[in-house]
Amino acid sequence: MLYPLVLIALVAAPVALLARFPGRERIAWGLALIPLSIFGLTLALAGPVWEGGQVSERIAWVSALGLDLSFTLDGLSLLFALIISGIGTLIVGYAGHYLGADSGLGRFLAYLMLFMGAMLGLVLAGNVLTMFVFWELTSVTSYLLIGYKHDYADARRGALHSLLVTGGGGLALLVGLLLLGQAAGSYELSDILAAGDLLRAHALYPAAVILILLGCFTKSAQIPFHFWLPGAMQAPTPASAFLHSATMVKAGVYLMARLSPALGGTALWDVTLAVVGGATMTFAAIVAMRQFDLKAMLAYTTISMLGALTMQIGLGGKYGAEGVATNILAHALYKSALFMLAGVIDHECGTRDLRRLGGLRAYMPQTMVVTALALLSFGGIPVMFGFVAKELMLEAALETELGATMSLLAVAAIAITAVAYLVTGWRLFSSTFLGQRSLAAMQQHVTDPALGMLIGPGVPAVLSLLIPLAFLGPISGLIEPASVAIYGKPIEVKLALWHGVNPALLVSLSAIVIGFGLARFGEHLANLRGWPAWSRGDMIFDRLIERTLAGATALTRAIQEGRLRRYILITAVTMLIFVGVPFLSFGLGSIRLDLDPQLQFYEILAAALIPIGVIATIKARTRLGAIISVGMVGAMVALLFVLFSAPDLALTQLLIEVLSTVFLLLVFSVLPVRFESFSEAWVRRRDAIVATVMGVLMGSLVLATATNDAFAPLAPFFLENSLEQGKGTNVVNVILVDFRGFDTLGEITVLFIALLGIYGLLRLRQGKGDATPERVTATEPAAEPVDTKR
Amino acid sequence: MIILLAIAIGSLFAGATYLVLRRSVVKLILGLIMLSHGVNLLIFTMGDGVRRGAPPLVDAQGQPPAGAADPLVQALILTAIVISFGFTAFVLALAYRSNQAVGSDDLDDLSTTDRL
Repeated sequence: MLYPLVLIALVAAPVALLARFPGRERIAWGLALIPLSIFGLTLALAGPVWEGGQVSERIAWVSALGLDLSFTLDGLSLLFALIISGIGTLIVGYAGHYLGADSGLGRFLAYLMLFMGAMLGLVLAGNVLTMFVFWELTSVTSYLLIGYKHDYADARRGALHSLLVTGGGGLALLVGLLLLGQAAGSYELSDILAAGDLLRAHALYPAAVILILLGCFTKSAQIPFHFWLPGAMQAPTPASAFLHSATMVKAGVYLMARLSPALGGTALWDVTLAVVGGATMTFAAIVAMRQFDLKAMLAYTTISMLGALTMQIGLGGKYGAEGVATNILAHALYKSALFMLAGVIDHECGTRDLRRLGGLRAYMPQTMVVTALALLSFGGIPVMFGFVAKELMLEAALETELGATMSLLAVAAIAITAVAYLVTGWRLFSSTFLGQRSLAAMQQHVTDPALGMLIGPGVPAVLSLLIPLAFLGPISGLIEPASVAIYGKPIEVKLALWHGVNPALLVSLSAIVIGFGLARFGEHLANLRGWPAWSRGDMIFDRLIERTLAGATALTRAIQEGRLRRYILITAVTMLIFVGVPFLSFGLGSIRLDLDPQLQFYEILAAALIPIGVIATIKARTRLGAIISVGMVGAMVALLFVLFSAPDLALTQLLIEVLSTVFLLLVFSVLPVRFESFSEAWVRRRDAIVATVMGVLMGSLVLATATNDAFAPLAPFFLENSLEQGKGTNVVNVILVDFRGFDTLGEITVLFIALLGIYGLLRLRQGKGDATPERVTATEPAAEPVDTKR
Repeated sequence: MIILLAIAIGSLFAGATYLVLRRSVVKLILGLIMLSHGVNLLIFTMGDGVRRGAPPLVDAQGQPPAGAADPLVQALILTAIVISFGFTAFVLALAYRSNQAVGSDDLDDLSTTDRL
């Protein structure tokens, strides 16, 4: 009974539209009961998981493709599902306050519910293809949420960037997952995880790993794809807090963690993850330190933490697995709180620029306390949950099996990151709450927000303190099955605040000391000159898009320049290449060119008159000559039908030929008598060459296929069944009206439509909107001088 | 025999390709007519061999004559002949109208609708 978890959220999306009506705060808290019920239901279903088991179910979908809706709830899924529904509850309620004045809240919450369903589907999926469907759905809903304020160009740009980057990564991921499925022989996660040794030795392994990692790195904003996440901050803050820090961006981390028991343990996987993750973690932490926009600052710290999670998966080992699980939870708690607090400050002060904020301690004391709690956890200060998580990260770096160099580098990177976090946290706190009272705050009569708006950030911030103090035991029970799923082997997890004096604690403490020492200089660091603007990823990406579009436009202009003959020429040449090249490389097959003993002279004559008629048509200088020549060609075709056993065809052909000629004479009587030579000589020569090659190709095609016995003809069936099933002796007629009667119906329809078209064209002449050339020339000069005469 | 048909079909396709690449509306239409002849003959050769004197007519017992021609391709061509006639008639009416409106046989003069 796992699919209801996904279904409830998806079905709730239209219900969320209710929030467009006034009284939005209360409606939103009412809607928050939906994720809360999912939270409760998940806990109720999770029974076997605490004991180290899992819950699975499967609904047949497209079984032939190995595509089943199968869901599995194990430790890792449970951790994610609880975070998604738990944080989701708070976010939905918080959004009611944040967007209380916006009638678009209904739409916003509908998107949010859709996202929640997709994200739950992603983490509960027991089949990689099912998972991929939900993966893409999260990208799409994220696009909708970032572009929520779609009348702003920046919002559209941010939304498009995130969609293109994560969508492009999604394509790579799909191919990677298909390769993985091919190698493992199944798309079920349980089968893939069981086939670890087989997979690592498989020839497809490197390609599959690289493609899957591309998908994960784009989704989780790893270098060099990190730039879309700061752009995604254009989303309303509740969405940023939910999607772009707590849940969606962790989808990549989730997938890497999920697959690491099967794919990990090789240099390709471990070193790539450790290096890319470590680089992202350090780089983003340093960039975050220098931001002035509250949300941009938080976005970069999120990228940094995603890098840290990736790195820990790469570092591996027991502590790596424990560290990933613990850090996911700790980060979800403090970072969603911080984002919601940034939203509170933005909402109350009308700005989130650190240079325009300050002195808020007097106006917003409650907000300050909550922020301080969340920031302490973020900075990894002892007794906060963030500290417990950071200790595990350091343990993972110290105990890694990737060698001493890697271990040393990782410890150094974590230490630098920890220092940068402290500087960032202190800058955020001091620029907002301490110092001089800002103009923005004084003008707006800033106060603490309504209690309902503080519940959102308050709950996770307080949990960040309460969990290590009171609930480490129960939380260990949640972290343990998750760690087991990441590690792939049973381990025992006992989270603790105090591990005794060990290297991890020493590194952690020295980082805290250095961090507080440097914190005073945070402002100076931020004001230092940075890299030039063009080197930023989003600028480069914009230019890439521009170039692609310009290239596409140029190509379209070159191919589709608006003249029919250009299109025909391109079509003909393309056909010559695609049919001619295989023809030349494979040859014509076994052509039987034995002379026909029954060949009659009149057959030769009829066939020979066709090329002569064609040449005469082309060479004709007058329209009458052309009509006669083309008529002769038609007559010779009819004659060939007579000679080669097709009396019905000959009859029809002759009839139609006469009619066509009459029509031609009728219409051509109004056209110029003589043909003009419009084209230049070289164009005619070029066309003649293309035409000749086309003729030779088609002629050879006839020779190659007509003398080929590779396929059994269909004719005997019709000949044998004509009388019995169709009640007729003329087999051609029986086919037309019986065996293939619908074709004939279609043919009649086509004729009727052509008739309607002709009727319309000729009748239009009498219409009042009609302008004959005479009238055009009569009215054109008159249009101008009207005013001057007056 | 088949080589004769191959030459005829090849020349029809070559002539049609050359004519549809011309700027004159009249030549374009002639090219289309020629193309339909070429395609019809092409289908004709794609059946169960091209035969003399054995039309696909069965006797009262439902027995076909020895070596009867392929009836399926003939049915397909019959449909094709009629449809290409409908198409030709439509294109001719279109040419008639456009010549009335624009007064030119040059396709390039049709690139703008300002004169309509």
